[in-house]
Amino acid sequence: MVAIDMTTASIIYVTSFVILLIGYLTAISSKDVIRLLISLEMMFGAVFLALIPLFSVAVLANAAFGIAIVTIFTSSGELLILIAAIGILDRQKRDIHTKVIKMGGDRV
Amino acid sequence: MSIELLVLIALAGIAVLSSLGVLLSKDNFYSSLYMSATLIFVASIYAIFNLQPVFVLIVFIFVGAIGIVTVAVAATYRSDPESQFSKPWAVLVVITAAVVGFAIYSYKMLNPNLSFGMIEFELINFMSQSEYLILVLALVALVVLLLLSVLKMVAWGTDD
Repeated sequence: MVAIDMTTASIIYVTSFVILLIGYLTAISSKDVIRLLISLEMMFGAVFLALIPLFSVAVLANAAFGIAIVTIFTSSGELLILIAAIGILDRQKRDIHTKVIKMGGDRV
Repeated sequence: MSIELLVLIALAGIAVLSSLGVLLSKDNFYSSLYMSATLIFVASIYAIFNLQPVFVLIVFIFVGAIGIVTVAVAATYRSDPESQFSKPWAVLVVITAAVVGFAIYSYKMLNPNLSFGMIEFELINFMSQSEYLILVLALVALVVLLLLSVLKMVAWGTDD
């Protein structure tokens, strides 16, 4: 088992930030909604990784596990709704590319 | 350098390489496979810290359910592969990464004696085993209910 020290925490945080930034770049560069879904899952993976050092604080270990459970189930539900939205978008527009999605907004 | 630290560095490195595969792959199908691999390596990092309950939740719920559905959706909507990598945004992301990297480095330099302590999480201390099972069952039931309402939503979309 690895003890958490500053070096270990730095490795975890750097990995988490790199995965998060790659997720951001994938989301910004995406041309279809499936790539957007994949990038969101990557970002949640980065969030899971950033939770690990919280477990090393003895009084917060149980709270950290509770946060991990809630995060995993909440993100799963959110992604499930996005998958349904992709299906509905395909039925309505016959296309899943982001260029077919037009901004709404108020009309003056 | 201990062997555990080497394993951690190796797992973190493979996770970052897999996430790069997501970005650079032109086909969404392979991209989703790389994404699943990234999440499994992230879960493996939990495992080497003796946090097996979180490993199981990530692998079974996140990768096993949502990840596999994503792979199936990506395989269903397969089209001509095209590059989805924006170079102008990549420059901005690299600048952000440099700023964040410097912040972590300077924090380490300014707080050399900062210690975190050992991870000593025991599932039995979180709540009793029966309560934990009920909690997970309730959360899984909520996800199933959400799935059913999503199916109904998609079915309504078909009628329109």
